[in-house]
Amino acid sequence: MGLKFAKFIRKIETEVVVARDSFQVEAADRGKLSEEFVKKSAVLYITEEFGKKNALREGEIVKVTRGGRSVNLRVVYNDTAPSEGAMMPNSIYANYLTDFDSFKRFRVTIEIADGNVTTPSEIIELIKSG
Amino acid sequence: MPITPMEVYKLLPKTNCRKCGEPTCMSFAFKVINREKNIEECTPLFEDDRYSRQRDELLKLLEPLKEATETGLIVTEDLCVGCANCIVVCPVHAAEDPYGSAAGSGPKIEDPIFRLEDGVLKVINMTKCRRYGKNRILCVACRENCPSDAIRFLEG
Amino acid sequence: MICTGCSCLCDDIVVDGGVRNACRRGAGIFRFVNEGRAKPMINGEVVDFEKAMDAAGDIIGNSEKLAVYGLDTTTVEAQQKAIELAKTKEAYIDDNSSFCLGDFVELILKEELPTTTLDEVRNNAYVVFYWGTDVYHSLSRHMSRFTYYPRGGKRQRGYEEDRFLVVVDVRRSHTAKLAKKNARFIEVGDDLELIDAILKVLDGKAPEKFAKDAVRIVKEMQKADFNVIIGGLGLKYGLKGDYQQFLEFVRRVNEVTNLYFIPAGCHPNMRGFNQLLFEKTGHVNRYSFRDEEAGEKFAFPKLLEDGEIDAALIVGTDPVNSLPFDIAKKLKDIKTILIDPRQSLTAEIADVVLPSAISGLETGGTMIRIDGVKVELAPFLEKKPDDVSIISSLLEAV
Ligand code: SF4
Ligand code: SF4
Ligand code: SF4
Ligand code: SF4
Repeated sequence: MGLKFAKFIRKIETEVVVARDSFQVEAADRGKLSEEFVKKSAVLYITEEFGKKNALREGEIVKVTRGGRSVNLRVVYNDTAPSEGAMMPNSIYANYLTDFDSFKRFRVTIEIADGNVTTPSEIIELIKSG
Repeated sequence: MPITPMEVYKLLPKTNCRKCGEPTCMSFAFKVINREKNIEECTPLFEDDRYSRQRDELLKLLEPLKEATETGLIVTEDLCVGCANCIVVCPVHAAEDPYGSAAGSGPKIEDPIFRLEDGVLKVINMTKCRRYGKNRILCVACRENCPSDAIRFLEG
Repeated sequence: MICTGCSCLCDDIVVDGGVRNACRRGAGIFRFVNEGRAKPMINGEVVDFEKAMDAAGDIIGNSEKLAVYGLDTTTVEAQQKAIELAKTKEAYIDDNSSFCLGDFVELILKEELPTTTLDEVRNNAYVVFYWGTDVYHSLSRHMSRFTYYPRGGKRQRGYEEDRFLVVVDVRRSHTAKLAKKNARFIEVGDDLELIDAILKVLDGKAPEKFAKDAVRIVKEMQKADFNVIIGGLGLKYGLKGDYQQFLEFVRRVNEVTNLYFIPAGCHPNMRGFNQLLFEKTGHVNRYSFRDEEAGEKFAFPKLLEDGEIDAALIVGTDPVNSLPFDIAKKLKDIKTILIDPRQSLTAEIADVVLPSAISGLETGGTMIRIDGVKVELAPFLEKKPDDVSIISSLLEAV
């Protein structure tokens, strides 16, 4: 029942907090263009309850948007995520969405997406092209 | 997560035939979990085809026993960030290593129960753990202070 | 050996075949010392180191409005050279602390916020606050080395009797999960509400929110003469710039017991930079040698945003990864020189990349732990050039 209903909800609006993650930092030290860094950075952590409530399944790719900019991230269940909202490790992905006025906590919309997660190179290309 | 003797018992032949050397299947189940007996010692389970389905299920259930240490402690390295809470909190370390792990440093004794190696918890000498041997007590200090559940016990 | 993975600067690391006693992040730095290393580059092309040095010298020589930025992961000696360079060029200088915990360090250095050392905390502290910081991930050994778990001095009976843990966060972090017996986890939406609640209790009034927790915390703090707040970014942003309210809170608590503050900064030598610049200029960060003053408008991200600089010398930090996109993309409008041991995302867009030795592992020097304690590094390899030699040569060139 719950799932059926949730299908009609296209966009979820919620708050993201930016947090430290030891595993991600370890990967960053080894190289930020590595697969491991992308795997541990291009993620949206949510609690299982929040996921169930909003029909966001673990492993799913979601488009996370704030102020006209979006990144594709993978949904991962984590019980240290906020009970209402999501969590992202500090990286180029979180910083693509944020600004200094709401540096470590900001509101986003989440929708189901196709394809793969965004790569750091895609964001860097946007910087290069000005 | 812990495996209970009951779960093991349910999958045994339950004939109390004593071939394993135990008076009952239930007491055999207890000893299997405490690693005092091997599941293979229940010969009927392996010889009689009637039990083949139970046997497969049981072997699957007991899988974690293999990676467990003598005290039933299992470390999942992929979950460990190397915070050393478990090392510092351990009452055995507190008593035997007052200037090392008791005070927050890396262990200064040669054979601590565990220490950090390559960034994750490695078991060095499980025999010192309070859960070990005949006079064991049910200490859970290390597990309780691991917030990412990198430490588990088979029982309790 | 000393680990320079974070501001704990752990001093008990043993390297022999494997890495002993370091946390995951720290051990990784040793184990993967040769992975992801930077190469000398000009405009994305790998070149001789000397050539890259010349190009860097040209950029600095031609720059009229230079900023020197980063420096939190390098040694005090390199920071010293960088400050000299900035002074000579009448440049701006800033580190990450301007949007990290620099404000707290400044309040400490100006003696407006009472502080202590982590060793004193180990020996004396009863109530330990982790406020807006998930140290399990950011400073992994902090709790086991210094605060909650170790036994020391007056605190010999272990955490269950001799410490009281308070974790304040907007989510139930891994650190928060450790708040079990003799502990409190307080899930806040607005940090100022908790401060307000505690102030009310001190006034003998009943707070509307957090009433039970606030009463308990005040009672616990009064049981001892030594309590400490380890404050992180969550606290900084939770205060919304209202440091006065926080200072007032600390001052009021100190009327009934002792409460100290130590920042939970991550960078290994942020404190070193702040302290050094403070000694020389009276300011901890975002300083302009041209204007001889410090201010919000001289913060590196702000200079970029406002188009106030034409070149940047970036040392040991990765703004493309860590600054908001709208600001990071402005790096493309100026000339950038990057000094870093590792290939970072900023290296992808920098005009010149100068690889250097990893401080602590490949080159020695001094760092200042987050609580102000000086730590001498003990490298196990020898590699040149390091940040000191690179910045010195650039300095000579101008
Ligand atoms: S051998 Fe097997 S069936 Fe026989 S008593 Fe022991 S456990 Fe039970
Ligand atoms: S169970 Fe107790 S004695 Fe055994 S290792 Fe853990 S903390 Fe130490
Ligand atoms: S097993 Fe848990 S408590 Fe022990 S070091 Fe690893 S993460 Fe920390
Ligand atoms: S806590 Fe920090 S300094 Fe200590 S080992 Fe880990 S990364 Fe290194």
